[in-house]
Amino acid sequence: MMKTNLDTLVPAYVREFEPYIPSKPDDELKKLYGCQNLYRLNNNENPLGPPPGAQEIIRRFSPPRGAVYPSGDSYYLRQEIGNINGIDPDQVVVGNGANEVIAFVVKAFCQQGDNIITTDKTFAVYEWVATFSGIKAKLIPLKNERFDDQAMLESIDENTKVIFICNPNNPSGTYWSKDTLIAFLDALSGRQMVVVDEAYFEFVKNDDYPNGISLISDYPNLIVFRTFSKMYGIAGLRIGYLTADLSVADMIRRTCVVYSVNSIAQEAALACLRDDTGHIAKTRALIGTSRAFLREELAKLHLPIIAGEGNYLIVKLPGSDTLAYRKLMREGVMIRPMTGFRYPNHIRVTLSKMAAMEAFVAALKKTLET
Amino acid sequence: MDTDNMRTLTLGISAYKHYLPVVTQFVESSAMVFGLKQAEYIRLSLATEEIFLYLSHFVCPGKSLEVQCFNGFYYARVHFRFSAPELNLSGLNIASTIAHDRESDLESMGLLIASRSVDYFHVAVEKNNRVCLTITKEKIYPAYEEKIPEPEPAENLSTGTPDDERLKVFALLTSQHYSLPYRPSFFTHPGKLVDMVHGKEYNAIIALNQKQEIVGGILLFYRSEKIVQFYGPYCFSKAQEKAIGEALFTACIASIARTKALGLLSLWGLPEPLRNNFEALGMLRYHEEGKIPIDEVSFYRLLHEDPGFEVWSGANMVDYLRREYQRLALAREIRTVRDMGETRSGRSLFSAEVYREQSTVTLRPVMAGNDYQDNLQRHIRFLRNDHFLNLYVELDLGIPWHAQLIEVLLNNHFKPGIILPFAGKSDLMSFQYNDENKS
Repeated sequence: MMKTNLDTLVPAYVREFEPYIPSKPDDELKKLYGCQNLYRLNNNENPLGPPPGAQEIIRRFSPPRGAVYPSGDSYYLRQEIGNINGIDPDQVVVGNGANEVIAFVVKAFCQQGDNIITTDKTFAVYEWVATFSGIKAKLIPLKNERFDDQAMLESIDENTKVIFICNPNNPSGTYWSKDTLIAFLDALSGRQMVVVDEAYFEFVKNDDYPNGISLISDYPNLIVFRTFSKMYGIAGLRIGYLTADLSVADMIRRTCVVYSVNSIAQEAALACLRDDTGHIAKTRALIGTSRAFLREELAKLHLPIIAGEGNYLIVKLPGSDTLAYRKLMREGVMIRPMTGFRYPNHIRVTLSKMAAMEAFVAALKKTLET
Repeated sequence: MDTDNMRTLTLGISAYKHYLPVVTQFVESSAMVFGLKQAEYIRLSLATEEIFLYLSHFVCPGKSLEVQCFNGFYYARVHFRFSAPELNLSGLNIASTIAHDRESDLESMGLLIASRSVDYFHVAVEKNNRVCLTITKEKIYPAYEEKIPEPEPAENLSTGTPDDERLKVFALLTSQHYSLPYRPSFFTHPGKLVDMVHGKEYNAIIALNQKQEIVGGILLFYRSEKIVQFYGPYCFSKAQEKAIGEALFTACIASIARTKALGLLSLWGLPEPLRNNFEALGMLRYHEEGKIPIDEVSFYRLLHEDPGFEVWSGANMVDYLRREYQRLALAREIRTVRDMGETRSGRSLFSAEVYREQSTVTLRPVMAGNDYQDNLQRHIRFLRNDHFLNLYVELDLGIPWHAQLIEVLLNNHFKPGIILPFAGKSDLMSFQYNDENKS
């Protein structure tokens, strides 16, 4: 048999990239770790699930429709997003989760020799997509757990094309105020594209927190990401979107694969936006209660936390986070160890229902004792 | 002959003994160009001669052979790559004898003899009986033990990648503050450390005080595709050991957190204040001629979630593995292999990794066979006769037939040492030869 020489066929930046290993399915993990139940506190999922209208869409999806292609560009969903935000639907590009729209942007703006700028302790996918596309990712350390605007500006060079800001940041929960974001955009004067990832937008109530979409008309180099995976609880359907200036969206659309978003996801997302049952308020209330509970319990254990916005917080442990992950799994609690986020000995915990929070605290106490 | 980034030179040749001068000249000239001195390249050439003759006589006579010389900056490495019929592969056991009726005669052992001339010797069998035999000769560097003024206590600690001059100061400070065997011997040779880092196999991170003086450092390298091993962290201010160690540890994690590394390993202990960040894997005993053996605890941490998987064992190690996996909180399904009377054919092959300076040989099973007992005993006998003090066997617990060897190892004075998570197809189990009565 002829041997394929992958060393010559595959670019070095792909060969050297380590693919992300997703967790095994829950049933397999339960078998391996010998636990009866599993509280999933690792992926910042909404424990309330999708709003009722979206649940109804999922329940009623007619099996024969499985044979029919979805709308190739999420037509009705884009109309709705346009209506809600007062923008042209063509300013909206929908993808198979926000991860896919990250790839759209990198493909649209970057070529070999270019670089992107983000921070060292943030959502990993910006860095991953850049790296396996052969684009250098310049990582500017967080300062006091926040994106360091000045250091980011200073690190820009002639090859910098895109700057990724996660607002609020996953995992630190910090955010740039409207004033900070505007000052940053003003300093750039449109020379680079700025992506503001608002995956956790709906969780933030503070007045100074900016709605990125409202700034696009003044800053055509601004691209805003949103997702239906967090607040709207349809992570399993994989759908997210970006909004940008019309001319920018037109360029990005050239790198999109149409039909990548399935019909149930499009319709469920539409139902999420039309929800009138108070889903967001209920989720916020649940998160608030859980955050307060964990703050109190973790303080009793003398464990420092980093808790800002979003439906998660970080706990600093006295020892290895990856060991804590394994020990907590044995107790039926799955958290996210943060070494991969460059926070060694920290874990990120999704704020969830009280039963899950109590189970986490009990398991953590047991883990710390052994 | 071709070149690859000016670091690799390749010669394609057939394994006929009359080509010997071509091969030895090629290796000698390459090593000379790579900067080895005469005494060094002559020894590499001697080992090459021994290996080429052995291959052209017994293993792959007349077959195509690729000889590759690699410039590792602080060493020259020669790879011999070839395909061989399976029947001949057992001849690549380092304890194979050219004349099987003269087993006790070390002079008849081509590979073991070759390993004597070099610093590192390794045989590995890749797919489709493709073999890679590797020898390495390191350059000799001048030793320095000059006294460097103590750095001021650090009020503001920073970490970074050192330039060459700071790397040399880091080496000198490490030798000054840590005696052998609590740091590798190469720290006595600052020039060697610089070349090791230039060669890109090692990365150094240093900690600096407010005056940009070096107050500590750590050295990292990929031990295997997924495991990063480190030396240190070395701290040059005892009072600030915790702060310096933690700053270096954090910088080390930041540098590898999003790489292909899955685990971080120290085989040579760890400063007390840092141990909480790691898990103790177990202990290995290191012997050195004329000295009391040292028992050193290995420390490890995973960098990501443990996905869990199955491992294979012989029935007599299941309880041990269960206890160890329970202690390490690793999710493993332990499956047992059984001999149910099936026919096993062929002669087994162990690859050998030989580090002469450390008097260490690590054997790894490459090919299954029906002669494990004899083959292992032959290895023990010859390696002990050749004065190797540290013998290890590494089994990959993800490969079922490796588990067939467990009973043979236990019956021949090998004791389980440490489990290295994710270091092979699954975890590696390192066994150590421990026949205290005979040593």
